[in-house]
Amino acid sequence: MLAPVIVAESLTKYYGSRLAVDGISFQVQRNEVMGLLGPNGSGKSTILRILTGYLRPTSGTARIAGFDVVGQGLEARGQLGYVPEDVPLYTQMRVNEFLQFMGRLRGLTEASLPAAISEAIERLSLGRVRTLLIAKLSRGYRQRVAIAQALLGKPKLLVLDEPTNGLDPRQIIEVRELIRALSRDLSVLVTSHILAEIERVAHRAAILLDGKLLSVHTLSEAGNGTCIRVRVHGSNEAAIRVALQAAPDLRLVHSLPHETYIIESKQGAAPVVLALVHAGMEVVEVGNSGTGLEELFLRLTEGTSR
Amino acid sequence: MSSFLTLFGKEVRALFQSPIAYIVIAVFLFLMGYSFTLTLFVNKYATLVHIFFQSAGLLLLIVPIITMRLFAEERKAGTLELLLTAPVRESHVVLSKYLASMTVVLTMIALTGAYAVVLGRFGSPEWGPIYSGYLGLALFASTLVSLGLMISALTANQVVAAILTIGVSFLLWTIDTLAAMMPDALERILISVSLLARFTPFVTGAMYTSDVAFFLSSTLLALFLAMRALARR
Repeated sequence: MLAPVIVAESLTKYYGSRLAVDGISFQVQRNEVMGLLGPNGSGKSTILRILTGYLRPTSGTARIAGFDVVGQGLEARGQLGYVPEDVPLYTQMRVNEFLQFMGRLRGLTEASLPAAISEAIERLSLGRVRTLLIAKLSRGYRQRVAIAQALLGKPKLLVLDEPTNGLDPRQIIEVRELIRALSRDLSVLVTSHILAEIERVAHRAAILLDGKLLSVHTLSEAGNGTCIRVRVHGSNEAAIRVALQAAPDLRLVHSLPHETYIIESKQGAAPVVLALVHAGMEVVEVGNSGTGLEELFLRLTEGTSR
Repeated sequence: MSSFLTLFGKEVRALFQSPIAYIVIAVFLFLMGYSFTLTLFVNKYATLVHIFFQSAGLLLLIVPIITMRLFAEERKAGTLELLLTAPVRESHVVLSKYLASMTVVLTMIALTGAYAVVLGRFGSPEWGPIYSGYLGLALFASTLVSLGLMISALTANQVVAAILTIGVSFLLWTIDTLAAMMPDALERILISVSLLARFTPFVTGAMYTSDVAFFLSSTLLALFLAMRALARR
């Protein structure tokens, strides 16, 4: 197995006396899309800034493709492309000029620069705007320019901080599809405070709250089924477990308030309803719960109001 | 090296693409030209002493306007994050901004060389103090630019960066007047860091290694502190 692209161990960051990241450890494998999910202020951006070398951790270590982000910062930064939140760009430059500037900073030679820029422009569909000033571009195009610069030099890791912020629905779908396509060539670490975004693009999601890593949830693992949300009148968790015993393909994932349960099923909702009705239960509501991330997130962050 | 040249090119373009560089150079040359002409016709002395002192005085106001945006603007716009997460050395980022600003300031100073040419054409100036005066002005500008750059690295607000740089520069320029009221030991220290006391010998044609070393070491110290300010993230 290839070495992980990110290995973070006990990362901690204090801003003055405020603890922003609290001893976080995780790994991201090659060609994996890892999502960092958490409410605003949960430490997502700080983690990205540490991994990209913009901030130094107070303690702990992080390696990008084997290079320590502090001790071998230059080499580590050479392995990644980064799109910060709010997409900062040199707006007085033209798209072409900006990509040339960033390409040279990323170590591309004059000989390899034109081909690399053409590839990035084609991949991000920037052909129409390549001679325009960045200041004149829409938010969606700016996002694409930022991703294009991050891809120059063929990094092993792409780091995206809230990449769908401020985009319209069509642009959001485009970014999602782009992330999926990119994961064939590189690893992607993406943050969002929007659960559905992470659910749609990531293979795994790390849930953060107040700087702590609460859980890492696998979203698309071979053999995993979909999660079905059911509300069963007059039921309790024990009764549900008994009802599901007869069906080996069904598994109770979470018990939620108001007689609601998340049940994993390999063949959709029908076997769940059948098993419960067979056990003499009154199913009053059935729905698809996707990967179960929402329930997990709500359960883990229960009792915190933000 | 290539990333340094890329950064330097971007900084020079940014300075010359904005109107600030042209306005600053134009105002500087107008005021200096006015002063040069007036003094020449009134005093009829073939000297640039007054021009060097007036240039130094104007640089105290002008350099902070050039340096205020160097880091403060990038920090505010967020592009500093883009720059410092690219595989480039922090020292290259700092040096490229320093050298780009020096390019503007030295261009401005070099253009006043026209006055020396005029003096040489129509009079018989003493060339020693003119050469040393220009060297002193360049070294003095170097200290001011590095100081402004260091202060710009500490804040995201350009106005704050400019005002602080003007304040610190003026304090260092005139601190020798305060020295007279201080005990001996402190007096020596204050005079040794006075920009005016270090600059004056150059204008009169007296060049001391200690003054050259002061301007060079203060430049290096300020650049080093700017790098430390960037590294303290």
